[in-house]
Amino acid sequence: MSASTATLTALIVDDEELARRLVREYLGRHADIQIIGECDNGLQAVQDISGLNPDLVFLDIQMPKLTGLEVLELSGRSDGVIFTTAYDQYALKAFDLHAVDYLLKPFSQARFDEALAQARRALGQTLPALANLLAHTAEKLERILIRDRHQVHVIAVEKIDYVEAQDDYISIQSEGKSYLKTQRLSELETQLDPKRFVRVHRSYLINLEKLQGMERTSKDSHTALMRDGKQIPISRAGYERIKAVM
Amino acid sequence: MHPILTNARKLLWYLAAWMLTGLFVALLLVTADQARWGSALWFALPAAMLYSFVAASAYYVCRSLPMAKRHFFSAVAVFGGASLIAGFAWLAICHAWNQLAQALASGYAALPITQHLAVVLFAAGCGFYLLSILAHDVLIAFDNVLLAERRAAESRVLARDAELQVLRTQINPHFLFNSLNSISALTTMDGAAARSMTIELAQFFRQTLALSEKQAIPLADELALCRNFLAIEKIRFGKKLESALEIADNAQRALIPPMILQPLLENAIKHGIRGLVDGGTVSVQAFAREQWLHIAVSNPVDSDPNPSNTAGNGTGLKNIRQRFASIYGERARVSWTLADGQFLVEMALPLTYHEV
Repeated sequence: MSASTATLTALIVDDEELARRLVREYLGRHADIQIIGECDNGLQAVQDISGLNPDLVFLDIQMPKLTGLEVLELSGRSDGVIFTTAYDQYALKAFDLHAVDYLLKPFSQARFDEALAQARRALGQTLPALANLLAHTAEKLERILIRDRHQVHVIAVEKIDYVEAQDDYISIQSEGKSYLKTQRLSELETQLDPKRFVRVHRSYLINLEKLQGMERTSKDSHTALMRDGKQIPISRAGYERIKAVM
Repeated sequence: MHPILTNARKLLWYLAAWMLTGLFVALLLVTADQARWGSALWFALPAAMLYSFVAASAYYVCRSLPMAKRHFFSAVAVFGGASLIAGFAWLAICHAWNQLAQALASGYAALPITQHLAVVLFAAGCGFYLLSILAHDVLIAFDNVLLAERRAAESRVLARDAELQVLRTQINPHFLFNSLNSISALTTMDGAAARSMTIELAQFFRQTLALSEKQAIPLADELALCRNFLAIEKIRFGKKLESALEIADNAQRALIPPMILQPLLENAIKHGIRGLVDGGTVSVQAFAREQWLHIAVSNPVDSDPNPSNTAGNGTGLKNIRQRFASIYGERARVSWTLADGQFLVEMALPLTYHEV
């Protein structure tokens, strides 16, 4: 091994054992890659990607519990990823659109090596393609994933009451509990259906279905009354927005 | 829905027919020297029109005794009874209108309703009602024929669609490519296993093609396909997939539409077993009781309240429901429930051992 070829670590994620073994076999040809772990579900993958920090991740797109893309979103990972899939017409359209490479099962050693070489070349760089793909699939979210140390919370979007911005975090209020997530409120706003979720204030986003009523508190300001009793200030711009939707 | 009262054109024809009847009654009255033309018409026409609505009730009387299950004596009793009641109603209308007409039109000479006339009117009322029953029966029979024809056409379309769908899902991409991937993995690890999986996969598709061409197949054949399918899936999922098939002897030869069970098992694995860390058991039970064939498929599901992308949207089940509806009409049912972490699909269809 030359000095420039350091050992790369790899994590294999696929819910089928035979599929993992096949990747393992193909990796056998690459002496400088060391397999440091295998996962058979998305939740475990999130733990291992963050915990073991492998250089390369072989990731199945279609897995139970969490999809491959959700795993990436939760682990904050965006480089060194090689996607595999048997068939997924809808997801793959997005992949093609953003020119993100993926391996179609069953794939040959040659095809595998090609994808691997491409991933190696791009190591350390954040490919705009993948970042775009992740942003694209995050639109019109159905569920929000929050990572809390060893746990992953999945919140169905319709169960959100409201979201409050707090410095660099957002606090998502749902069914009596609140969850912190590192995300900007404006970003979350773009991911949710604007007909159901309205940014009524610089620091507040509400779910219209959980709105009980609105009150005029002064000449220029209103307050939103939520079903759980919470009162949320509505700015002037927010009032225009909410009127436009209702 | 009443075929006449709810259709404007038919209603017009119906009322016109009753007007003619009214004319006929008037004619009879005149020729029997009971009244002059003016009074006879003034009496008979409105009475006939009023009675037309009473006669329309014959539809409901006919519907109360569906033709398929009609027995002679109950028909005589019900229709006879209804006609008698209608006859009385006719008589009552005649009497009432007779009085009312006197109050409304001064030139109207009240009809002397003698006992003799009353009996004749009563008999006429009964007769008209029986005619109405006959007419409505004919209309119902006509409707039934049209409905049956439409169902048959729908069934053919659905069957063809199902066949195409089946071929498409049986060239089920996920299943096919994942299986081929597994074979690819096995070629270097365990050549013998790779070979047998290849053969099983080929057999599965061959069977699928053969079965989906038929309208009905014995349950045993569908089960053979399912066992084949499960064997292939077991190679992919290993210990995660267990299966339990309990099929009563009297159910083995029962005929069912093809490709009902196999897609259910596929769903059970895709949306159930696969999402569970330790997997689980898919169970199938089938038995025949009285004139019904009962089939149940159940599998454990992830109790996570937030289903992931792999949760199905029920189209497969609705498809089965539709197919059953077009083949069996109301005589088959499919229902599904989720309770205690188990997803259960239950089906009941008419038990047949021979092609109809």
